[in-house]
Amino acid sequence: MKNLGWRQWLVVLAFVLVVSFTGFFAVRTVRRATYWRSHRDEPIRPWMSIGYISHSYHVPPHVLTEALGLPPQPDRRPIRAIAREQNRPVSEVIAILQDAIAQARSIPLRPPPGTQGKTHDPTQGPSP
Amino acid sequence: MSITDQVLAALLLYGLPVLFGVILICSMGIPFPASLMLVAAGSFVQQGEMNLWSVIAVASMGAVLGDHVAYGLARWGGRRLVGRLSRRIGVEENLKRAETFSRRWSGTGIFLSRWLVTALGPWVNLTSGIARYPWQRFVLWDVLGQVLWVVLYVTLGYVFSDRVQALVEILGNLTWVVVGLIVAVILGWNLLGYVRFDNLQAN
Repeated sequence: MKNLGWRQWLVVLAFVLVVSFTGFFAVRTVRRATYWRSHRDEPIRPWMSIGYISHSYHVPPHVLTEALGLPPQPDRRPIRAIAREQNRPVSEVIAILQDAIAQARSIPLRPPPGTQGKTHDPTQGPSP
Repeated sequence: MSITDQVLAALLLYGLPVLFGVILICSMGIPFPASLMLVAAGSFVQQGEMNLWSVIAVASMGAVLGDHVAYGLARWGGRRLVGRLSRRIGVEENLKRAETFSRRWSGTGIFLSRWLVTALGPWVNLTSGIARYPWQRFVLWDVLGQVLWVVLYVTLGYVFSDRVQALVEILGNLTWVVVGLIVAVILGWNLLGYVRFDNLQAN
């Protein structure tokens, strides 16, 4: 190895840099994967719709529509569009939804409007 | 709001035309979160908001069309530019050698850069076009790789439909691990060559 020229040393340097770069991202990948294995919930983002949030957090959609004062119908809009319509910052809408989710998980759920008397298991996803 | 949020919000509102447009633009080399779109589309398919076959067909068409625009521009515009430049600085021989190399290895490069190392896709389109890689073979590897990419990411989104944001973070990191590993193997191979050459000289 004593005869290495400057080009070869450049390749050695590049190799070391690339291995460190790969190691850094490998550690990040494993850390993210283990984090998500132990955390059930992902953060609510402005692109998400009520339908997606209800699917992701395993709460019936009516819990979320009620919290935002919306009619209990399927709504494809991202929550940033809902926030704009209601003249609120998205962060406020996210906070309302998080509260509603926390409440829905802590107390037995009321049946969705129009299905009085029927019980609903929140772990079974959206109610019919 | 980040570009990712904007794109996903548009996908929710307008569906397939947004999917087609973003994947087309991304395949042409403009950095857009296309893999993320496919994962999200897979999740929306699972929730009954989008149709599986339409998503696969539209996304694959957008990707293949975008690759062809880049390949065509490089082949007819870029080639002339590179030819003129290489004549001026006297490296025409190198260009010919690059062409031969590309003909031998581009098939694998095109296929792998469609689904495994997607970050390299736009570069491979350009180099394939400039090196005049045969069009029929480009189509074959391109379609195979792109359909595999679309099916793979849509399936991931379908299976982990309630974890789109989490999955995207993991995949984003994993892509760089794959890119780094490939570059490390190439550089390591070169280093081994130097060591062998050194030993031969010593003997």
